[in-house]
Amino acid sequence: MAGQSDPHPSHFSAQEVEFMAEDEIIEIVPNMKMEPLNLICGDYGPFFPQMVTQVPIWLAIALKKRGKCAIRPPSWMSIESLTRILESERESQEAFQVLPFHYVEISRLLFDHARDDISDIYMVRSLIEDIRDVRFHKVETSLESFEDARSSAVRINNLSAMEVNIVRPFVGRALQAFYKHGSPDLIPNPERVSNSISNRWQQAPDQGQRRPLRKR
Amino acid sequence: MANYYDIDDILAEEELVSVVFQKAVNGVGIDPSSETDSVEPGSKVELPFWLAHELHLRQIATMKLPPCFNQKTRLELGADAACVDLRSRCPYFYEFGCKIAPLVGDRDMGSFLLSAFKNRYQEVLAKAHTAAFAAASKSLTVLTKEETNLYEAAQSSMAAFKKWRIGGPRFQKAAVLGRKRKPTE
Repeated sequence: MAGQSDPHPSHFSAQEVEFMAEDEIIEIVPNMKMEPLNLICGDYGPFFPQMVTQVPIWLAIALKKRGKCAIRPPSWMSIESLTRILESERESQEAFQVLPFHYVEISRLLFDHARDDISDIYMVRSLIEDIRDVRFHKVETSLESFEDARSSAVRINNLSAMEVNIVRPFVGRALQAFYKHGSPDLIPNPERVSNSISNRWQQAPDQGQRRPLRKR
Repeated sequence: MANYYDIDDILAEEELVSVVFQKAVNGVGIDPSSETDSVEPGSKVELPFWLAHELHLRQIATMKLPPCFNQKTRLELGADAACVDLRSRCPYFYEFGCKIAPLVGDRDMGSFLLSAFKNRYQEVLAKAHTAAFAAASKSLTVLTKEETNLYEAAQSSMAAFKKWRIGGPRFQKAAVLGRKRKPTE
């Protein structure tokens, strides 16, 4: 793993998350004829010209580099659906829109390798960047407000792999610190402390999609 | 026991605590102000925490609350937690407080630490990911070691993501390849 020298080897680097994203299935339009590929991870093909085939992204990029296919952008990557997603992200303050788990990595891979297969690539790229910014700001604001000191986990729905990877070391350590300082043997009167905390809980009844998994 | 090899834990125990000796101790030159090699009962000495802890367990000395946890600091933290310069007082504020709380018999140390940490976290650390460099340098100097770890973790993961996003060649050239070989005569 790329983070071997770090004291916390459970963190992924960005390249590793991208590597895992390359397993996603995508559609290609081959321009040649080829026998089926029997690989350990599965069988792909047979490939006929102009027949849409589903392959993993790493295979699609490899074929594209050899000029043997054209990659079809996935359906969520059209300008209409991205604009719609951006609007709903901006409207709702708490919830995240449903996006593919690896949308950041997939979009970057396609921008790098399949530039001519995407129509209006600049528009698509700027839309995805905007979506990413809005979502990350939402993640930050929700991070500020999770300190019910009794919770030992945080839950945020519909977050994508790269966003999770960015906040993973920080949230892990912050939760550890909260747990250490809030542990019951350190605080001899948990009832007194929890009274003030339960008042704060009543102020936030509508954060339904985010709640600690276990209250102590 | 999991903290035995943790360097931060070792350094946190290095902080000085003033203790009051209950019994006379001979043959140790701990107290620099006394001429002889022994320590009288009732004398106050500053010792590192690991030593004071052992002496406390053997009931030779009793610990007093270190000055970084006194009333003045508590009032300051209650007023505005984010601006208090904890690093100059005690860079291992939280860890040290956790260790010393059961020994000194301080009942609200735990909740006090927790609320201080919470306030500072809200102000400073939640913006750690995207803090611009100018704001960062001002707030960095007041953080304890633990908070600095958190801050740097966020910063480095954000920087790694940005670097990846720019893209570029997926392979890095090995350092040995760039050197030219001198032709052998």
